[in-house]
Amino acid sequence: MRNGFKKWTILAITAALSLSLILASGCGAGKPAGQSGAKKEVKLGYVNWAEGVAMTNLAKVVLEDKMGYSVKITMADVAPIFTSVANGDYDAFMDAWLPVTHESYMKEYGAKLTDLGTNFEGARIGLVVPEYVSINSIEEMNGAKAKFDGKIIGIDSGAGIMKATDKAIKDYGLGFKLIPGSGPAMTAALKDAVEKKEWVAVTGWKPHWKFARWKLKFLEDPKGIYGKVENIHTVARKDIEKDLPEVAQFLRNFKLNDQQLGSLMGLIANSDDPLKSARKWVKDNEKLVDSWIPKKK
Amino acid sequence: MMHTIPVGKVFEAIIIWLRANFDGFFNLTRLGLTGFIDAFENTLLFIPAVAIIALLAVVAWRAAGRGIAIFTVLSMGLIYNMGLWPQTMQTLALVLTSAIIALIVGIPIGICAARNDKFDRMVRPLLDFMQTMPAFVYLIPAVLFFKLGKVPGAVATVIFSMPPSVRLTNLGIRQVPHDVVEAARSFGSTSRQLLFKIQLPIAIPTILAGVNQTIMLSLSMVVIAAMIGAGGLGEEVLKGITQLKIGRGFESGVAVVLLAMVLDRITQSLANINRRKNKQA
Repeated sequence: MRNGFKKWTILAITAALSLSLILASGCGAGKPAGQSGAKKEVKLGYVNWAEGVAMTNLAKVVLEDKMGYSVKITMADVAPIFTSVANGDYDAFMDAWLPVTHESYMKEYGAKLTDLGTNFEGARIGLVVPEYVSINSIEEMNGAKAKFDGKIIGIDSGAGIMKATDKAIKDYGLGFKLIPGSGPAMTAALKDAVEKKEWVAVTGWKPHWKFARWKLKFLEDPKGIYGKVENIHTVARKDIEKDLPEVAQFLRNFKLNDQQLGSLMGLIANSDDPLKSARKWVKDNEKLVDSWIPKKK
Repeated sequence: MMHTIPVGKVFEAIIIWLRANFDGFFNLTRLGLTGFIDAFENTLLFIPAVAIIALLAVVAWRAAGRGIAIFTVLSMGLIYNMGLWPQTMQTLALVLTSAIIALIVGIPIGICAARNDKFDRMVRPLLDFMQTMPAFVYLIPAVLFFKLGKVPGAVATVIFSMPPSVRLTNLGIRQVPHDVVEAARSFGSTSRQLLFKIQLPIAIPTILAGVNQTIMLSLSMVVIAAMIGAGGLGEEVLKGITQLKIGRGFESGVAVVLLAMVLDRITQSLANINRRKNKQA
């Protein structure tokens, strides 16, 4: 006879719900932001790309531990992040690849953004193949078309690197088809090919964790379709320098080189907690980190 | 020359107009929803995991029997063991908030649709639209209106998960046998009495099936909601797929499935209890 229990069940659920609502109204009032005495809040958006995860967590640690801000970091897709920084809802995004990869977002939102300069220089995009592939240049690709199965594995069809690859196919007269997909699909195809020692060409960029996991190389690009180098910029909302001058200056000063970013990404890759790794990295690189913090006048 | 009809342009213009004119409304909604979801989440995180598992187990036992109760304890225990408890509670808060809103709005619409054929015909294409429009399409408008975070995620979830509760409420009431309705009418019951004393009680199993479907669809939105910063299990899944961490992605996926099964079995058996009771009456 379970019917008698129905009343109890419904009673229990009602009780639980009302309890949670009562508790809710108690602690749900929230603190008014930016009130006297409260720490100033900084909101950073990031995409789940290794270098962005690393730099954003590092910035959070420094801003919180050394500069006394409270930092909220939110992970989302790249388009919503550009949208909300341009809207002024978020303060900054530290992973904008310019001048090529994220050009389309800058075209759309550039007027509503402040470019706080580069935080990493010498990033690269291009066609990436495993090291065991015996050709070295995009110009040699047509000769090995069968080995590549006539395909280049791409990422999201709107991405800047896809447009660049379309141009490369045209300018080099490659008889290849560019297969659109997604970042995960591209890395999965790469993983599969590397494990079977097959030839594969993907649209790739660096810094990226795939270079740490597999032995890969960029194909030479004598026509310079993919640009010489890319830099990673921090873009911020329009009036950040007025509202958060110290933070803006810190983000301008924030710069990592290949070796520094690599060691930070390595620490993060080997642990479950990026914040903890970033804290450890700050301890090991105290001098560099301190040089970013604006001097109080 | 072919003229293209500017469907997309019109949509964009509507979004811009809404943003310009209803900013206050969107802000208020956002603040209200943020407060509610955060509070819900904080409460769930404040209560020790053991207590929540025990509570769920008791509910499952009362509603669905011992088997489901044991299953509940095992699956929630596994989630806890995999270290995904906070994310699961975040997801639960988001899913339940969205489902509650979807039901509060959806069931009355379903009732109206059942009682008014014209309204029904109007609502139907809207429901088709809500259910089949790929959710990715309204991610950016959702971010424009409600900023990054849990709220646009909840809004997208409500839109996606509401249709079954409307449809099944409508269906349940329409399926009430004609002779019963006739009999009630001939005894002089008002239309309000007819609804509350005859139609709704008989339709309840079907309505509860709609509730169940709404909750399940809400859960299927967690990954998409994570793309606009909603966090929770969806974020873990997204981290798994974007960096090819197969194990972690699978674990969080399993957590979503287990949470879904627990919620499904509990809500489904509530409907069944009702059905049994109706048969006996």
